[in-house]
Amino acid sequence: MQGAEPFLSVRGIRKSFGPVEVLHGVDLDLPAGSVTALLGENGAGKSTFVRILAGDHTADDGAIRIDGAPADLRSVQTARGAGIRLIAQEIADAPPLSVAENITLGATPSRWGFVDRGAMRRTARAALDALGADLDLSRPVGTLRLGERQIIEIARASVGRSRCIIFDEPTAALSDAETRRLFELIARMKAQGLAILYITHRLDEVFEIADRACVLRDGRVSLSAPVDELDQRAVVTAMVGRELQGGSAEAQAAATPGAPLMEVRGLTGDAFAGVDLDLTAGEIVGLYGKVGSGVPEFAAALFGADRPRAGTIAVEGQQVRFSHPAEAIALGIGFLPPERKSEGLLGVRSAAENLAAPDWGRLSKGGTISRKAERGAFARWHAAMGIRSRPDGGEPITRLSGGNQQKVMLGRWLQNGSRILLLVEPTRGVDVGAREEIYALLRGLAREGHGILIASSDYEDITHAADRAAVMVRGRITRQLARDEISVASLTSAAGGGLHG
Amino acid sequence: MADTTNGAVDGAPRRRGITVPESAALTLFLALEVIFFSLNSPYFLTWANWVNIFTAMSIAGILAAGGTILLIGGQFDLSVGSGMAFVALMFAIAAESFGVGPGIAVAVLTGLGIGVINGFFVTVVGVNPLITTLGTLAIFRGLTLSIGGASSVRVTGFDWAIQRPFLDIPLSTMLFVAVAVVVGLLLARTVYGRTIYAIGANETAARLVGIRTRRTIFTAFLISGLCMALTGMVSASQLGSTSGTTGVGLELAVVTAIILGGTTLKGGVGSMFGTVLGLLIVGVLNNGLTLMNVNSTWQQVAAGTLLILAVSFDQVRQRFIKG
Repeated sequence: MQGAEPFLSVRGIRKSFGPVEVLHGVDLDLPAGSVTALLGENGAGKSTFVRILAGDHTADDGAIRIDGAPADLRSVQTARGAGIRLIAQEIADAPPLSVAENITLGATPSRWGFVDRGAMRRTARAALDALGADLDLSRPVGTLRLGERQIIEIARASVGRSRCIIFDEPTAALSDAETRRLFELIARMKAQGLAILYITHRLDEVFEIADRACVLRDGRVSLSAPVDELDQRAVVTAMVGRELQGGSAEAQAAATPGAPLMEVRGLTGDAFAGVDLDLTAGEIVGLYGKVGSGVPEFAAALFGADRPRAGTIAVEGQQVRFSHPAEAIALGIGFLPPERKSEGLLGVRSAAENLAAPDWGRLSKGGTISRKAERGAFARWHAAMGIRSRPDGGEPITRLSGGNQQKVMLGRWLQNGSRILLLVEPTRGVDVGAREEIYALLRGLAREGHGILIASSDYEDITHAADRAAVMVRGRITRQLARDEISVASLTSAAGGGLHG
Repeated sequence: MADTTNGAVDGAPRRRGITVPESAALTLFLALEVIFFSLNSPYFLTWANWVNIFTAMSIAGILAAGGTILLIGGQFDLSVGSGMAFVALMFAIAAESFGVGPGIAVAVLTGLGIGVINGFFVTVVGVNPLITTLGTLAIFRGLTLSIGGASSVRVTGFDWAIQRPFLDIPLSTMLFVAVAVVVGLLLARTVYGRTIYAIGANETAARLVGIRTRRTIFTAFLISGLCMALTGMVSASQLGSTSGTTGVGLELAVVTAIILGGTTLKGGVGSMFGTVLGLLIVGVLNNGLTLMNVNSTWQQVAAGTLLILAVSFDQVRQRFIKG
């Protein structure tokens, strides 16, 4: 990257929101034909920074140069005109429109003002082929899986003349096979001379595809170096600003399993069939399955959020048939949904309300509830779980970082005294430091006698926290793994994918 | 760490300081109105005039109480005006034939019945609340006109609403204040109120924390129906009669006041206090303009302009905070 001018060069970028400065002078070079990984915990300023590059925010101070010439990325249009494309983390498609229409959105081919359907389909097909994705072009994207919609977002960014592509955590919703194809595509883009900025939480991905790593911490660059000169520990230390103890080897002494809390026999629903599973007090059971395996649907059925078609569930020896989550909650079951924003957060409400919600019944007296009782309950978990927020949780939940939001989502079920915790994707969108905290928290809860199910498509959740594991493939459990059999290799091979990372 | 503040930035745009600055701005606006009109009319700041202001807004205010609950819960009720007219007619017919007591019972049942119909289609069948209540708006207006006929129906021996037993305040106005206080407490202090806010904020998430979302929304439509029953009787009592055009366009006045008061169409945010401020801003404007001899048709123009300005102000404020 020395010598030739980088495609994009950024110096001293500053940005404030109201009185809070979020970026305190960020420098970054994006050379053509190179992949730069951008890392950092949630709240470090990554998203703000890339939104500035994409023209979505304007910097308060600092200089941006493209091909050595000063550039003013004052709107999304000017950034696109300069060839910069951002593939945002949150899917922003038009659900009722077709796959082809979505891929060509914003650049719909036309002739005399009329949509040129043939050209549109050819463009869309070519973009999908490059990703190795075989999707029906006329299907409304609203009917597709999350991972498939993410592919469409990527396909859309690859349409037209682009020179720099920014990926904001693209693999969070992708299956292993889809991730592989994405990496191949990135390698091709790199060979074609595109400058790639790749935001991720996954260190293994950094070492697999990036040439250079740049870490943001609290709005400053805390590390910027070629990947060859780095190891994982150095990156993590730069991200969290301190050394983390241990990795997966840190697993605690096996908890002694106690009484059976939940017994599931032959449970069958739309996305899973004939599933048996036991959950005992004092243990963490991992249920691993890739996107589309039926794992989240199964967990939702245990909570009464979906109604199973056949099979039985017993809670502490009692047969149950939930028709509403309220019935599961009454029996001491807590549920962490996979999509925090759309299924978990009461968005505009305070963190305290979010935490207290399932416990309003108990916190109230004669149907009335005081804000004080609610905030008192929050303060307790604020301290116990190390939630970074105001101690009384008075601010809107959305102002907390991803990891802290997740702690509030977990705290809900601790506050209401649930003993069974069904956690789907417990660390999705959670940064490395907070991940470790959540794993430690779950192990502590298991020791206190909770029965915990971790249903996840992220093998780290299983390898770091589970006492035993089951692997689900296309709705059926295909393999049971004892504690000493759990490894990245055993999980991914049982899930039927190539070894990843 | 600056985590709590950065979190707001690292994702979608966020709102901050939801209630405080909003109601502060509204209060300021109301204060400006009061200053302006008191400079322009010596009669404006008298007790009798303020009783007038509150009396004029009591019917819209009672309906807005139910409407505030619904809108915070992400719902909508456009049938309040025609529902009120239908209740008034049913009351008038029943009261003339069987007496006031049975008339009141009929009025309450009619109001609740409208709430049941709205609630059933929204929560059980799953029809969008806007469409459901647009339909019932037309249905009950049509029923009122066809049953009641073209002329107005007299109501006799039922003039409680205009009695002024205390400080020269009409009973109907006291009823409005009582309803506002009850709904204000319901929203701010009770578990039911919390569940309404939660449903408005995120219905899926609310269900997953064990809230019976459909039951809660159904109840909110019942409350709105009850408000129609109350206002139907207030209207019949105030006018001593009821007709097919009673309450026409009232739904718009109600929605204007609620939104002006800071409840958003998206739900999850708002308060009865805000709605009362919204009612006052419109009510004081209308009263002041009347005192200044401005034609009532222009008052509509003013109220509409005010609504758009208030919501625009809020949008600009949010954008400014977003940066």
